[in-house]
Amino acid sequence: MNPLGNKKLTVVTAVLLLLVSVGCIFPFIWMFIISLKTGTQTYDPSIWIFSPTFENYKNIFENRHALDYLKNSSIVVLLTTFISIFIGGLAAYGFARFEFKKKENRAFWVLSLRMLPPMASVIPIFVMASLLGILDTHFVLIICYMLFNIPFTIWMMRSFFEEIPVALEEAAFVDGASRFQVFMRIILPLATPGLIATSIFCIINSWNEFVFALFLTSSDASTLPTTVTLFLSVSGVVWGEMSAIGIVTILPVLLFAMIVQKYMIRGLTFGGVK
Amino acid sequence: MIRTYFQKRPHLIYIMPAIIILGALTIIPTIFLYGLSVTNYELGYPTFDFVGLENYIRLFTGKDAEFWYSVGISLGFMLLATVIQLALGFWLAVLLDREFKFKFLVFACMIVPLAMTPSITGQVWKLMMNAEYGVLNYFLQFFGGKVIWLSGENAFWSTLLVDIWQNTPFVALIIYAGMRSLPTDPYEAASIDGAGKLQIFRNITLPLLWPMILLAVIFRAIDSLKMFDIPYSLTQGGPGSSTEFLSLHIYRLGFAGTGWIGRSAAVSVVLLILTTVISMILIRLYRKGVENKG
Repeated sequence: MNPLGNKKLTVVTAVLLLLVSVGCIFPFIWMFIISLKTGTQTYDPSIWIFSPTFENYKNIFENRHALDYLKNSSIVVLLTTFISIFIGGLAAYGFARFEFKKKENRAFWVLSLRMLPPMASVIPIFVMASLLGILDTHFVLIICYMLFNIPFTIWMMRSFFEEIPVALEEAAFVDGASRFQVFMRIILPLATPGLIATSIFCIINSWNEFVFALFLTSSDASTLPTTVTLFLSVSGVVWGEMSAIGIVTILPVLLFAMIVQKYMIRGLTFGGVK
Repeated sequence: MIRTYFQKRPHLIYIMPAIIILGALTIIPTIFLYGLSVTNYELGYPTFDFVGLENYIRLFTGKDAEFWYSVGISLGFMLLATVIQLALGFWLAVLLDREFKFKFLVFACMIVPLAMTPSITGQVWKLMMNAEYGVLNYFLQFFGGKVIWLSGENAFWSTLLVDIWQNTPFVALIIYAGMRSLPTDPYEAASIDGAGKLQIFRNITLPLLWPMILLAVIFRAIDSLKMFDIPYSLTQGGPGSSTEFLSLHIYRLGFAGTGWIGRSAAVSVVLLILTTVISMILIRLYRKGVENKG
């Protein structure tokens, strides 16, 4: 029951919502249309009906190393997600199930890391990484991405763990199970949907990350979002290829986002809104 | 000794690894950043000198006019983006807060901007905003209009438009979730007392939604203050330096061409302090609101 009153869908509202929906997906659709056009067609927005070409997609994989970017993105994203879920998940359980001094202060310190401007961390990390000789490696990106994935996992998983009734654990303790056994056998299986959702959000956030990827990699470990640098020069812009690589970049995250639609708000607010 | 220490504090085993990693990943670079900001370190030069507060003095005595311009447009952008997105998001949430058949489709559409890689967002809008061949001007021409979207005067507003496109659904979804979880009792009581619509909104709805609104403000304000991806791929800080937000100013000083790491580190420190202060104020407000309600 909605306390704000039983509102009906009027024609005006329906039209407005339709416009909003179209407005939201139009840039994506437009990019997709351009990616299927040939060179000269891309510069004419009045062409809506044409026979699509996959030339642009072929070009980005053959000449622009799209496969390497895709591979780098996948390696970095999967490894950082795996490590962050493991370390963050443990900490989340600690925050959800124990009482200790200054617990909330520590939790909010973790949250405040989300607010750090990446532009401020990237300068010292760039200098340190170049001193250590680990610039342009997957390793340095994986480490940096833990900086936002671990806080996220802690807050997300904490909200999922807190939904599991404590009584279940207490019953197992009575049966003589240790805390770790309880965590592995009772808590984790019950929290699986939450773990999957959290992992997918880690994947999306890492996949979309741009600042660290731009400054800490140059060729060997560059991820997909950095491909925008290939097309910065104003002259000789290749709109078709630009759009094709854009589509390749955003399609996986859009698919993942649709899977976790149910948890979208929760994921975007660090578990703050359920 | 150590054994009993951990037995008394069983939570440590769980939270220590994360706290240590996060601590190391934030404290060491931050100290290093402060260190760099008092040197004249330049990319490509092996030696550098300690210059004390010279970099900061340069910023605050107005020798670096572009710095103050960047601070101004960054703060202005933060305010405008947050206020507009909040207003639009609220309006959108009200529109959505009713039952209809294809609601799931509207939600699916709204998720597209949210999930889209921000750097790619900037890029696709750059194509759409192209003055000659862009699709926005193609549509406008039917109404007899034409806008040079990325000109010196308009680039700031175009960046704002793109940010609004990408992030308004976020605010709308939060406030929508809040509206859906409102309790019914206060409304029944209010209608028995004969309260007016505006009174109900001001005295019941707004206080109940307050935590959600604050949460949306925290995320939007901080993220728009430190924004980099969209202006980087949309305008590159240009034309001239008309959209050189703080993050882009740091980038231009430290990496693009000049390589003055020392000076850009000083600007980074300013950005870091700005975001820390603003997020501390907002998080404190939020904690007060949440913890009072239990």
